Amino acid sequence: MTTSVSPPDTVPKERTAGHRMPFWVNQRLGLLVLVIALSVLFGVVRPAFLDQRLVLFPLLRDVATLTVVALAQMAALSVGHMNLAVGRMAAFGAMFAGIGYDKLHLPMQAGLLLCLAAGAAIGAVTGWLIARTGVSSFVVTLATDFALLGLVSLMYSALTEDAAFTTRPAGVDALRSYSLADICAGPVCGSPAVPQLAQFTVLAMLGLGFLYGGTRVGRELLLTGANPAAAELSGIPTGRRVLLAHTLSGLLAALAGFMAAAGTGTFRASIGDDFMLPSFLGAVLGGTLLTGGVVSVLGTLLGTALVGVIRKGLDLLGVGLESLNIYLGCILLLALSADRIRTVVSYRKVVRST
Amino acid sequence: MSTMLDQQGRAAAVLRRFSRTTTAMLLLVVVAGAVALEVASSGSFFEGSSVRVFLQYLATPILIGLAQMVALCVGQLNLAVGALGGFTACLTGVLMADHGVPAVVAVGAGLVTATAVGLVTGLAIVATRINGFIVTLATMTILLGAQYRLVGTRTVDGYSATLRDLGSAAPLDIPLVFVTAIGAAVLLGAVMYRTVAGRRLLAAGGNPLAARLSGISTDRQIVAAHTLSGLLVGVAAVTATASLPGVNRSVGGDWLLPSFAAPIIGGVALTGGSIAVFGTVLAAFVTRLIDAARAQFSLDPSWVNLLIGLVVLGTVAGGHLHQTRLARTTAPSPQPGGAR
Repeated sequence: MTTSVSPPDTVPKERTAGHRMPFWVNQRLGLLVLVIALSVLFGVVRPAFLDQRLVLFPLLRDVATLTVVALAQMAALSVGHMNLAVGRMAAFGAMFAGIGYDKLHLPMQAGLLLCLAAGAAIGAVTGWLIARTGVSSFVVTLATDFALLGLVSLMYSALTEDAAFTTRPAGVDALRSYSLADICAGPVCGSPAVPQLAQFTVLAMLGLGFLYGGTRVGRELLLTGANPAAAELSGIPTGRRVLLAHTLSGLLAALAGFMAAAGTGTFRASIGDDFMLPSFLGAVLGGTLLTGGVVSVLGTLLGTALVGVIRKGLDLLGVGLESLNIYLGCILLLALSADRIRTVVSYRKVVRST
Repeated sequence: MSTMLDQQGRAAAVLRRFSRTTTAMLLLVVVAGAVALEVASSGSFFEGSSVRVFLQYLATPILIGLAQMVALCVGQLNLAVGALGGFTACLTGVLMADHGVPAVVAVGAGLVTATAVGLVTGLAIVATRINGFIVTLATMTILLGAQYRLVGTRTVDGYSATLRDLGSAAPLDIPLVFVTAIGAAVLLGAVMYRTVAGRRLLAAGGNPLAARLSGISTDRQIVAAHTLSGLLVGVAAVTATASLPGVNRSVGGDWLLPSFAAPIIGGVALTGGSIAVFGTVLAAFVTRLIDAARAQFSLDPSWVNLLIGLVVLGTVAGGHLHQTRLARTTAPSPQPGGAR
């Protein structure tokens, strides 16, 4: 599901069968092997790791939420931009869902729609500012992050008693605790490890996969990221594509905020506080380029899953919370360095064989 | 007579040009804000003690803003500013409180560690060719973990009384930590504007290709900028350790956003090659004024974030409008009487 607008020199390499990149360059395959190998390793060392209800279910719920966060980052990265405000956009969206449930007594679906609309709106405002002023997305989203950080906590302290919306309509609790085991087709039930919350992740992945892989707009987004000048010259309204990418990013961030709120059961201002690092980890480990033009929807899921498995596994092995961050940082650096070495080596091989 | 008029005219022209710069606008904002606060607090804002408190907590924003500015000037970002500062502050505190290291040695160790981390970051960026954003994101994560491992959930406050005295010392109501920050700014300005090394940094940031063609190693400049940034963060950490009642794992947690706000409001371009030492210092003043106003009217601390975010967005949008207007007014001038 990788979609890329490659620079001209790599396109023939991928197309012609004669001198293809070797298979081990495929980042997603490596990630998949790594995720499975690590899961097996942790499962052997600590059999509790494979406990479906107590370990795998929360793990997959976290992975499902963080994948959507990483997809939100990926949408911004696809046009070569960043969204430093993913976490705060998630909090912003979740706040609207909370207001909808608490003050307007909306049903679950309506609150979700309100949440998504709020996220898309704030993303669109950010995108419009970036496209209109031409200022780096880093600055604009950083400033948006500041502003939303203040705004969201002000709204919570103005609207609630104890800084959280606790009213939950029917259905939210089900989302939190139901797994596929609660869906039965006759006598056959699903696995209790897969949370129902994952349906949103699957939908988001399918949607983005179709957008980037199968539509003209998706190609235009990638081209805008790969080479804005060329995109402009080939008649692509780059400003509008940037706006679209940031709107998508805000929409997905809000969805992640809703998922995080549903997962913990309360709508509070601290939702999304720790979203920034995972958003970049998942997307970048999955093969999405920071410079734009290359995205990988499946890779994003695998990258997030890898981080989640490592986190959970180290946790079960008794590595303290304080050291987890040290390992995660090292893993990020190692993975990227390894990737870099792999690319350089395989590139040399390809060059030699031609 | 005519020369005097000439001089007056020239001075007026210089003044007019200055009045359009970001620095002048910031200066105006600082003065207006201070006067407004003075009025609002019915005359107590300019009293000795409140000036002292104001300046005391201004040192860290100035220093972290400068640290970020140095990284920005070669076109890099340093996301690890807060984490490195917090780690260094905790390291200094733990060395003094738990291991009985004398203050001078502990401060020295803190500065050296921060500089070394900056150096390693720079080397990692140059060696792996990974985007500096990701590398500093990784070092940020690692340092956060290291800081947490160092102090856990406790607050280290049993450290040297000498350092604490220095931190709260304020001859003429001007705190020493503020003097340190201003001294660092002046030194940095001198290095950037007056020495070859500073010029090289700016050249490498402004146009890497041209810099390389004229014999400047951009890799070395990137390493140098990150090292210098680390050193400045180290100084910020020392001032924070000296003026805070104790260090814990939350030190540095809220440094990242202000470190970007100061240079950006101060007029530094994120693309590299430009620098504004005075502007950054003034921008730190502005953010501190917002904080002081928040305290004056006893508002929710969240207002500060909201306002700073809006100010940065406003600066960005305003700067763009200014640019387009400048472009419109100066564009026809190269060929007067042309087709337009």
